Amino acid sequence: MEAKFEKQGFLKKLKSMLKVDFKRMFTMPLIYIMAGVCFVMPILILVMTSFMPSTTVDPTTGAETAVETFTNVWQSIGSVSGGEMSMDLTSMCNINMLYFLVAVLVCVFVADDFRSGYAKNLFTVRSKKVDYVFSKSLVTFVGATIMFLAYFIGAMIGGAIAHLPFTTEGFGVGGIIACMFSKIFMTAIFVSIALLLGTVAKQKLWLSILGSFAAGMLLFTMIPMISPLDSTVINVIMCLAGGGLFAVGLGAVSNLILNKTSLV
Amino acid sequence: MNAIEIRNLTKNFGQKQALSGLDMTVPQGAIYGFIGENGSGKSTTEKLICGLLVPNGGTIKLFGRDYRDADVRSKIGVLIEAPGCFPNYSVWNNMMLQAANLDIANPEEEVRKVLRTVRMEGSASNKFKNCSLGMKQRIGIAMALLGDPALLVLDEPINGLDADGMRIMRDVLTDVTKNYNCTVVVSSHILGELEKIATHYGIVRGGKMIKEMTAEELNADCPTFVALQTKDMEKTMTLLQQKYARVTLENQFIRIYDGVNAEDAVKYLYDNGILVTEISTDKIGLEEYYIDLMKEAR
Repeated sequence: MEAKFEKQGFLKKLKSMLKVDFKRMFTMPLIYIMAGVCFVMPILILVMTSFMPSTTVDPTTGAETAVETFTNVWQSIGSVSGGEMSMDLTSMCNINMLYFLVAVLVCVFVADDFRSGYAKNLFTVRSKKVDYVFSKSLVTFVGATIMFLAYFIGAMIGGAIAHLPFTTEGFGVGGIIACMFSKIFMTAIFVSIALLLGTVAKQKLWLSILGSFAAGMLLFTMIPMISPLDSTVINVIMCLAGGGLFAVGLGAVSNLILNKTSLV
Repeated sequence: MNAIEIRNLTKNFGQKQALSGLDMTVPQGAIYGFIGENGSGKSTTEKLICGLLVPNGGTIKLFGRDYRDADVRSKIGVLIEAPGCFPNYSVWNNMMLQAANLDIANPEEEVRKVLRTVRMEGSASNKFKNCSLGMKQRIGIAMALLGDPALLVLDEPINGLDADGMRIMRDVLTDVTKNYNCTVVVSSHILGELEKIATHYGIVRGGKMIKEMTAEELNADCPTFVALQTKDMEKTMTLLQQKYARVTLENQFIRIYDGVNAEDAVKYLYDNGILVTEISTDKIGLEEYYIDLMKEAR
C-alpha cells in the first residue's frame, strides 16, 4: 500500500512545538527554582544591606569611607537616567543581574534537548527548524518575564521588610512601569544570544553558558542607559525593536546552524 | 515506489570517510535488515536518513521525495542508539511529550495503544531513569510508533538485552511488522534474531553497500550441507575431499556442501571402512552467510 502524507503547514508545526516547549518549561523544576531565586534574591539583598553601616573606617589611618547602600526600593530595579556609571553595590546588585540567569535558563533548556537525546525525536520529524527556534525564543521569553516579575515582587517585599522608602524622585509610576517593560523586552536580546550559543554548543552546556556570560558582560553596561527608572514609551519601543531585531536576526542564524550542522 | 532510495551517499567526519558512495534501496512495506561490522556506516546512514546529519554528497529519497521534505519527515519513527527521553520524566510523560510533538489528535489513547504493543502498559508511571535497558529500548520503539509512521528506523534495538529481553523484543518487532503498515529499517549484530523477521537485507562494509537481497534470494544463496562425525575425523576428511568439491571442518563436524545426498556419503564412507556416528542435513543461515561474505570482501 502506498504511504500517504499530510501537508505540514508552518502554523501546525509551530503549534505542536509550542505545546511541547510550554509543557516542558512548566514541568521542569528549573523554572520554579529560577523564579524562586529571583523572588528571594532582592529580599536578601535589601534586608541584609539595611544592616550594613553607612561608612567604613580604615583601622590604620582612621579615614572614613562612605558605603553606597540602598536608600530607596527602586534602586533595586534601576537608576535614573543621566547618572554616572559606577561599580557600587546598588549598580551591580539589581534586577539587571537577571539577564545572566535568563541566559542560564535558555542554555539549560536547549542543552537538555540534546543531552537527553530528545533532539533525535524532535528533528527527525521536523525538517525545518524555524518552528523550533521560534518556539524556544517565545517560551524562554515567557520564562524570563516570570523571573523579572518575581524579582519585582521580591524587591517590593524586601523593601518593605528593610523599611526602605518607596518614594519616587525624578520619575513617576509610569516611568517604573515603562522601565519594567523595557527590561522585559530587552530579555529578547539575551534570549536570542543564549539560544544561538545553545544551538552551536548543543549538549555542551558549559560552553553555551560561558559564551552567554561573555556576551552578556559586553552588553551589561548599556542596560541601565536604555532602561532607566524614568523610562518613557520611547525606551519601551526602543527595547521592543532591539529585542525583536535580535530575536529575528540571531534566530535566523540559529536556524541556519541547525540546518547545516549535525544534530547528534 | 521505494520507501528509501539512496544513491552515491558520502559522509565525512573530518578526515575520516564514514560513507563512500553508498547505494541503498528499500521497497515499501519491507523489513530491511541492515547488517555490517562496527564502524561500517550503518548508524551514519540511519542518521542521514532521519536528517540528523548533513551528507557531503549523494541523494536520499524517501517515498520518492527529498529526505528534507517536511511532510515525509513527519511520518518517520526513530530509535537510534538510545531512546530520546528525559530521565526524570515518567514513561507516560515522555510519551505524551512526543505525542504533542507529533500533534496527535487523541494522544492518551494513542500512547496507551503503543505502550500495549511494546508490553509496557503496566510501567507507564515509572520514571524513565529507573527502567531497565530492555524496558528503555521498548519505550524507544513505542515512541517511534507514535503517529502511525510510514517508516521506522531502528538502530540496534536488541543489542545489550538479556535472553528474556531479546525474546520480548522479538515478539514486539513481530507484532509491529504485522500490525503497523510501515516500512522498517532495522540494524543489528544479532543476525539470528534479524533472520526471523527481515524480508530484505543490506550488507554494508567500509561505508559501501556490498550486497542487497531479498529473504528469498538469501535462502536460495545459502547452500545446504551434510554434517557428520566419525571416530577417525582425519581419515574421513581426506576420503571426502577426494570425492567431493567442498568439504570443511566446522565445530567438530565435517560439512559436505553442494547438495550432497546424506545416504551416498554414508555408503561411500562405509565402503571405505568408516562408520558414521552422527549425521544431519542443514542449511547455512544469515550469520554464516554474512561471515563468508565478509571473508570474501577482505
